[in-house]
Amino acid sequence: MIYFFDGTTEGFLTAFIAAYTDESAILTSKDIQLSLEQSSIFIQTDTKKAKKASERLQIFDPHALYDLDTLLRCGQEDHEQVAFLYFRHLARQKRPVGKQFANPDIFRAVEYMKKVGFEIHRFHGFIRFMETESGALYAPFSPDNDICDLLVPHFKARLPEYPFVLHDVRRKKAAIYDGKNTFVAPLGTANVLISANEEGWQALWKRYYKAVNIPSRERLKQMRGYMPARYWQFLPEKQDSP
Amino acid sequence: MINEEKLKILTESAKYDVSCSSSGSGRKNMGGMGNGYVAGCCHSFTPDGRCVSLLKILLSNDCIYNCKYCPNRLDADVPRATATPDEICELTIDFYKRNYIEGLFLSSAVCKNPDYTMERLLLVVKKLRVEYNFHGYIHLKGIPKADPLLMHKAARYADRMSYNIELPSEKSLKLLAPQKSKESLLTPMKALTAQSLQFREEKRKGQEKGYFLPAGQTTQMIIGASPEADGQILRLTQSLYRVTGLKRVYYSSYVPVVRDSLLPDTPTGQLREHRLYQADWLLRFYGFSVEELLSEGENLSMEFDPKCAWALKNMHLFPVEINRAPLEVLLRVPGIGAKNAYKIMEARKYTKLSFEDLTKMRVALKRAKHFITCNGKFFGAKNETAVRGLLSAAEEHDSVEQLNLFSMLSTPQNAMIALTGQM
Repeated sequence: MIYFFDGTTEGFLTAFIAAYTDESAILTSKDIQLSLEQSSIFIQTDTKKAKKASERLQIFDPHALYDLDTLLRCGQEDHEQVAFLYFRHLARQKRPVGKQFANPDIFRAVEYMKKVGFEIHRFHGFIRFMETESGALYAPFSPDNDICDLLVPHFKARLPEYPFVLHDVRRKKAAIYDGKNTFVAPLGTANVLISANEEGWQALWKRYYKAVNIPSRERLKQMRGYMPARYWQFLPEKQDSP
Repeated sequence: MINEEKLKILTESAKYDVSCSSSGSGRKNMGGMGNGYVAGCCHSFTPDGRCVSLLKILLSNDCIYNCKYCPNRLDADVPRATATPDEICELTIDFYKRNYIEGLFLSSAVCKNPDYTMERLLLVVKKLRVEYNFHGYIHLKGIPKADPLLMHKAARYADRMSYNIELPSEKSLKLLAPQKSKESLLTPMKALTAQSLQFREEKRKGQEKGYFLPAGQTTQMIIGASPEADGQILRLTQSLYRVTGLKRVYYSSYVPVVRDSLLPDTPTGQLREHRLYQADWLLRFYGFSVEELLSEGENLSMEFDPKCAWALKNMHLFPVEINRAPLEVLLRVPGIGAKNAYKIMEARKYTKLSFEDLTKMRVALKRAKHFITCNGKFFGAKNETAVRGLLSAAEEHDSVEQLNLFSMLSTPQNAMIALTGQM
C-alpha cells in the first residue's frame, strides 16, 4: 500500500501510525507513478494522532524530532520512505537506533541526515552575499536540501548588525533576518538594487581568486569534488573561469 | 579600496604558504562583525584543488632577506608592492561581509628590519580588532628575530600564529636562508606556547580577559629543497607536536620558482608530500610514534602508504578480529580510518559484524581484508607475498583517489570529520 500524506511533519506522523504494521508500506508526499497492482490511500493529517506519535518517539529517543525534521528536509527522492523505516525501527526497538550502522535501513537514514548536515556546513562557506542599496545583504542560492532557515543562526551570530535574506530560488522561499527577528516567507523573484561599490568588490574578489591559484598544479577534478558545479551559479568567482 | 594590481602582487607572493585552516577558534562576536568557527570553513576552491578559507595576503613583498628558495628574495626581479593597514582592513571587512572568506591570513616580507615589520603587522591586526571591530579569524605570521614583546602583543589579537621553519635542519637553513636560524624560529614558538598556558591559567582565575592564540600555532616545512630524509623530518615534526605544542605542521613540496645552483631544478613529487601528511596523521590521531614508522635516515615508502608499510613489517600482529579488537588496534589496520573505526566500534555493540556488514557500512576493505577476521573468517590473501602484490596493485589503482583524499583531509571540515571530533 502507498500512503500519501501532505509533506508536513504532522502529516508524516499520522501516516506513520497508519502504515506502521504494513510491511510493504511506502510513504510519500510526491506524485508518483502507480503500477496496476499497487493500491494507495491519502492520509488526512490528524494533529492529535501526530502529537501522540511524536511524544512516544521522543521517549524512545530524545533526538527523534530533530532527526525527523532533518530527514524531511532531505532532497533525496525517497527521503520520506527512508524516514519511515528508520522510525519504525526506533518504535519497535524502543531505544535509540542511530548507531546500528550494520542495519541497511538505519545506515541509509544516517547517511541522509549527514547529507543535510554537510550541505548546511557547505553553505556556511558557499553563500555569497551582495550588498544592496539599503545596506542589507542578499544571497540567492539553490541547495539540494530544504535548509535556508537552518543557515540563519550562523550568519546572525557573525553579522548581527546586518539584515540579510537567504533566498532559496529552487523552492521559491527565503529566510529573512531583519536585524532583530527571523522568519521564512515565500519568495519567487527578488528585485535587488545593489550598492554602488558592490561590483567593485566582486571584481576584487575575482582577481583574488585568480591570483591565489597555482596554475602549475591544476586539479580540476578535485576542485569539482569539493565544490560541485551545481553550486557555481551563485559564486561570483566561478562566473568567468573554469 | 585597494587597487587590483596591488592585490594581485600581494596575493601571488603569499600563495605558496600552504596553511589554509580556519579551525580551532571559538572567538565570540562582541558587536561589529565576525566570530570564530571551531570546525573551520572553506569558502571556495581554486582550480589547483586547494581551499580558500582565509584572505591570504602579504602586507608587503619588499624583502631585505635573500632566502634562496623564495620568489620575493632581495635579488629577485619581481614587481614590489606594499599595502596600507587600512587597505588590508577594508579588504578583510568587505570580503568577510559578503561571506567570501573566514578571516585574514596576514604575512609579510621583512621590510627594513624584523622589528619594523612586526610592528606593522601588529598595527594591522590591532586596527582590525579595535577600530574595525572585527572578530573573525586572524592567522598572523611571526617575523623571526623581532622583539618578543611585539610578538606577545600580536598574540592577544590573532587567533593563530605561525613561524615557518621552512627547512628541516640547521645546516640547510645556513645554506639556503642564512639570515634565519633554527633558534630564531624555535625560541618564539616555545615562548608563545608558555605564554599561552600562562594566559589560560590566569583567565581561569579571572585575572585575564579576552584571547591569546585560541587556535594555537602551526608551522611549515619545504620538502625536497634540501637533502633531509623523511625520518629526520618526521622526528622534528613529532617533537614540534609533543614538546613545542604545535597544532599542525604543514609540508610543501618544493616548487622551483627561483633558479639557483644550490637548489634542485625539478619539483618534488606530490606523492612524497602526500606520504608525509599520511605519516603526520598517524602521529597525531592513530597513536603511532615516529620510531615505529621509520629510522632517522630512511624515507617513507612510495609504494605503500605508511600504515600499510608498517603493517607489512609487523605481520605477526595480524589478522585482528573485527568484533573484538580494541579501538587502538582497529586504528592500526591498513585501510581503516578513524571514521570507520568508530562505525565498527558502535555497530558491533548491536550485532556480530560479518564481512558483508562491513561492506554495507561502506568500510573500504580493499586493504583491510588482508589484516582482519570477521567472526573468525579470513578473506585476505594466503601469504605475505600475495598480500604485498595485491596491496601494491591497489595502491597504483588508487593513486589519483589517494591524492584527493589527502586534500580532502587538508580542508578543515573534512579533517574534523576524519577525526570524529578530535579537534
